[in-house]
Amino acid sequence: MLFTHDYSFKGAHAEKVKALVGHKFDKEHTLFERNMDVYLMAPVVGFLYSRKAELDKSKPSTTNILAEIMIKYQKELTFTYRLVMLLDKEYEPDTEKRINKAFRDYAKEDTKDLEEYDSYVRGGVDVLYEKLMKDATQADDYIRNLYEFMADFEDRYSQNSDEIMDLCKLARE
Amino acid sequence: MLLKSIKVKDFRQFKGEQYVSFSTDPERNVTIIQGDNGAGKTSFAQAFRWCLYGETDFSNKTLLSMAVSDQMLPGDEKDVQVEICLVHNDIEYTVTRRQRYKKDTANRISNSGRNKFVISYKKSDGNTEYVPELETELKMKEILPADLSRYFFFDGEHIDHMGKEIRNGRSSDFADAVRSLLGLNAFIATLNHLKGNGKNSVIGRYNESYNAGADETLSQLIKNINSYNERISAIDKRLNELEQQDAFANDKCQQLRLRIEKNQDSKELAEERNKLEKELAGLEVTKKEKTGLLLKNFNAHAPRYFSKKMMKDALELLKSAEQLDKGIPDVTAKTIDYLLARGYCLCGHKIEIGDDAFNALNKLRDFIPPKSIGSLISDFSSSCQEKTASTSSFFDNFQDIIKFIREFDNNRNTLEDRLKKIKERLLGMENVGALQQELTNYERDIRKNSDERDNLNQEKGVAQSKLQSDEEKRSSLAIGDANNRKIETYRAYAEYMYNTLKQEYDIKETETREQLAKTVNTIFKKIYNGGFSLSLDAKYNIILTADGRSKANDDDNIETSTAQSISIIFAFIAGVIKMAKENQGSDERLAQTEPYPLVMDAPLSAFDEKRIDTVCDVLPKIAEQIIIFINPKDGKLAEDNLGLRIAKRYTFTKKTEFETDLMEVG
Repeated sequence: MLFTHDYSFKGAHAEKVKALVGHKFDKEHTLFERNMDVYLMAPVVGFLYSRKAELDKSKPSTTNILAEIMIKYQKELTFTYRLVMLLDKEYEPDTEKRINKAFRDYAKEDTKDLEEYDSYVRGGVDVLYEKLMKDATQADDYIRNLYEFMADFEDRYSQNSDEIMDLCKLARE
Repeated sequence: MLLKSIKVKDFRQFKGEQYVSFSTDPERNVTIIQGDNGAGKTSFAQAFRWCLYGETDFSNKTLLSMAVSDQMLPGDEKDVQVEICLVHNDIEYTVTRRQRYKKDTANRISNSGRNKFVISYKKSDGNTEYVPELETELKMKEILPADLSRYFFFDGEHIDHMGKEIRNGRSSDFADAVRSLLGLNAFIATLNHLKGNGKNSVIGRYNESYNAGADETLSQLIKNINSYNERISAIDKRLNELEQQDAFANDKCQQLRLRIEKNQDSKELAEERNKLEKELAGLEVTKKEKTGLLLKNFNAHAPRYFSKKMMKDALELLKSAEQLDKGIPDVTAKTIDYLLARGYCLCGHKIEIGDDAFNALNKLRDFIPPKSIGSLISDFSSSCQEKTASTSSFFDNFQDIIKFIREFDNNRNTLEDRLKKIKERLLGMENVGALQQELTNYERDIRKNSDERDNLNQEKGVAQSKLQSDEEKRSSLAIGDANNRKIETYRAYAEYMYNTLKQEYDIKETETREQLAKTVNTIFKKIYNGGFSLSLDAKYNIILTADGRSKANDDDNIETSTAQSISIIFAFIAGVIKMAKENQGSDERLAQTEPYPLVMDAPLSAFDEKRIDTVCDVLPKIAEQIIIFINPKDGKLAEDNLGLRIAKRYTFTKKTEFETDLMEVG
């Protein structure tokens, strides 16, 4: 089964996750509460920004998420995994196969598919670090970065809920 | 005393020997020494005080020129020397003070032994005679007492303080010095000789000389009289101290009251500052709370929010692949197998092999796992719906919080601006609470002193009456012994002489003082002309009164400006000099007196142009010699106003930070 084991961020990505989770920019708050929060967000961000990254081995740093936490969030993680598998045309141009990867093969722990997914996780970590932490020094810089990141997202995709709701209705008919 | 010349060697900025000769011409009696600020005028003016009295106001007490000391090698020694030629009582004196400095192995400069003070004079036969070393200080005191010298060698920077000092709480030393200048010192010396404090005066010695013999009563009386006398003079000493303390405290109280009045606003400002600081701290807390909320929402909802775009694309993809079919969530083939084996449906309908229900359930296998992923897709679609619904207001909320935070920032900036302005205003102000506390302390001291004075006066009265009574008793007992009778007679003569002389002195002194007051006042009016009058009290304290009012200085609130202070000093000094000059020419003078020069550092800076005009007009007429250190700006004013009276001009030229040259001009 996917997402039932410990997960490790490694190398430069581990460093970035540590900064995103550990740096108290106003002496009190960090941008992310836990490694898991980064792990939940990063693949979506990586995919939407078309950013993948190889496993970095340049630094010995690691930071982990324990298996019990992975299992607790397995449903959420699987949902994201399916989204990525369904939409990653570059990785698999054939629609039928992508649907199978999302709904049939997910239990097989195909390391290749998971590796593809993880490369988006790492790309997402890079994007999050660049957008939220780079060039920030004062507490206000972090808040401004956060806002600009969100506003940029809103601009790009003008996240309209109605269309999704309509599509969901189809499934219930 | 007139100053003929000064020669300084390696003194502060003045490397090598530098020499200034002063005008002693009775008509053109002004010497001007001009230099930019920082060129060494004040140092040069201090050279007079150091030479004559061994004192300076420098915070760095090393007098050796740095330009010289820098070039010294460890172990080297160099002398600083100032030599002043002056005329006193028609005798020409040369006063020299020399200090040796040594550089140690750590390149530090320090004094090498004590300074040498030498006074020599030219005798009528032209030969030079030296004042014996032990008598030099005394000789200097005779020429010009240090106490008074500050009023002849003075600088503009301390003028405010000196003005107050002349007006308030003068020491008795000062009054004595003034009396001496006015020609009363022979009188004073005689009176002290006859009946000064202590056992060394004539009457004091007589008091000690009674022989009690076997007469125990007389012996006791003599003891009593001595002890009363000692106690009375101790009380007098203490009363004098109290008077000086009170004068100081009263002056402080007056200054503090003015400062409190001036800084009253600071109390309100400080309160506002505290309020704003509290408000600001509150804002910071709220901002942190909002930031916390923002990040909590971001962590909880942003992943879903970001996935919306992907959900939409995924759902569209599934739709186009006709995969958004009719699977039943969480139902698999195993569920069908179970229902068929059980024999009745979830709704309770009986199932039998081959009936409609059986067939419908079997057909469902096409849409459910493992044969179909329909249910999974249906689950997935439900998830999409649920996630989308839960994030519908996420971005709006996010923006609202950001807006809050930005508003806080604006409010904070406004508050900080206000706070900054208040702090800037407070910076120049004093803490009224602390001033008030200080005032209370001084007022308490004054009350305490007043109580002590009352007690002392009472005690003195008792001691005096006992003394008188015991003296009478002693007189009657003294008749019995021939020696005592003699002492009694001598003592009576001495007392008589003292009383007669004292009476005479009091009359003269009052006359002199009244004359001085008149002279000082006339000069003051000429210089200041500001609707004020000066008078002198018994201790030569100057009392300033506004014309048309007759309030004593202690309890009036006339604020003295710098120009006023300097005018008071000028008037006082000029008055003393004028009187001294008149005494010198008078046959009735009580003792010899001398006129004195005025050596002034930056005296005109405090005056406006009109007053400079009058000051420059009045001073050279009163003082026999004027020496002015001045900056080029005021130098022009002096030149315009004193022009014809200036006989000699010198300028300071600053060569480096540590070296200044002196040159005669014209």
